[in-house]
Amino acid sequence: MSDEIDISGPGGDEILAAEYALGLLPEVERESAAARLRQDPAMRADLRFWLHGFSSLDIGFAETPPPATAWPAIERRLFASRRGVWDSLALWRSLAGVAGAIAVLAIGLNLVTPRADPNAFAAQLVAALSAQGSNVQVVALYNADSGEVRLTTLAGDRVPDKDYQLWAIEGTGAPQSLGVIKIDARNDVKLPADVLAQFGPGTTLAISLEPLGGSPKPVPTGPVVAAGKAMAI
Amino acid sequence: MAGDTADIADLIARCALRDRAAFKALYGRTSAKLFGVTLRILRDRSEAEEALQEVYVKIWQRADRYVPGGFSPISWLVAVARNHALDVLRARRPQGEDIDLALEVADAGPNPEQAAANRAERGRIDDCLGQLDADKADAVRGAYLDGYSYEELADRHKVPLNTMRTWLRRSLLRLRECLSA
Repeated sequence: MSDEIDISGPGGDEILAAEYALGLLPEVERESAAARLRQDPAMRADLRFWLHGFSSLDIGFAETPPPATAWPAIERRLFASRRGVWDSLALWRSLAGVAGAIAVLAIGLNLVTPRADPNAFAAQLVAALSAQGSNVQVVALYNADSGEVRLTTLAGDRVPDKDYQLWAIEGTGAPQSLGVIKIDARNDVKLPADVLAQFGPGTTLAISLEPLGGSPKPVPTGPVVAAGKAMAI
Repeated sequence: MAGDTADIADLIARCALRDRAAFKALYGRTSAKLFGVTLRILRDRSEAEEALQEVYVKIWQRADRYVPGGFSPISWLVAVARNHALDVLRARRPQGEDIDLALEVADAGPNPEQAAANRAERGRIDDCLGQLDADKADAVRGAYLDGYSYEELADRHKVPLNTMRTWLRRSLLRLRECLSA
């Protein structure tokens, strides 16, 4: 068992666990030691012995208060992006401020854009879609004449083996799918008749991250990466 | 921190139950220690902060692996932080998968009586290190506290790499005898 490991010098096998515990082993030996540790209960007992012994040295790590930025970053990493939007009142509340700011920006852009372009999108409603802990930011413009929502991505990246899916929500009703969207292209989404019937100021648009092809269920299964309410322009 | 061992064990247990208030309290109680670990090993404040964030993400995700009566809870947390910092150091060189066996073996650790005897044992490892030549004891401390590799230890002590490895292995054998006595 020891012939694949360089046991030069004294101790060899016997203190391999100590070298592993200290993190001293070169990569190849470290991996082979790890493989043996998985198989060999006696060697695991050795490793425990050493980790326990060395832990008495922990007092040598001087306590140092971390920067104040660390804790909010940890919370963001762990909780913000994976929390389902459907069960989080706090998230909805926090969205309002961000969404409002982006909506104002979007309206501003809309107003200063020259109207000479024949393809100009005559929007009557705008929604800014974003969520805490997610970098996805999308502006949605609704054109009542065509019954289409035009989505423009401000920020957001494709995720391998995932699709983004757009949803509309009326009040406390169930989300209705508006289909899979491309995050890296402009999307003109035709609203289905049943969504169109209720669509208006206050309708929430949300984007979730789903398996390829979209949610296997009639409701979102993945994290909501952006959401916002439609407002009249 | 020795006095609130039970509290910290309780906070870890509540983290395993997805109690976010407990997680925040655990952070408040232990982050200065763990930042001390990542800072000492990585020697760069912003890298140490990044590592600290990753450490607490791991702690939240793996809190269910902590078994009371094994490591003392703060030792377990320090081990998570130390292993992660060593992984960051190794990532500066080409390397393979992240192996975190030090966490996995905590299952059937020393019994609670042993864990409770921590202070006595601290005296013991100091005594045992004290029986080594000073530079060899320093090398062991440097490997544990600073994450030095054999190469770095050889450089610092101005001896060839093989000599350092031989030194350290002899020292570890003597430590083992002393700690087991």
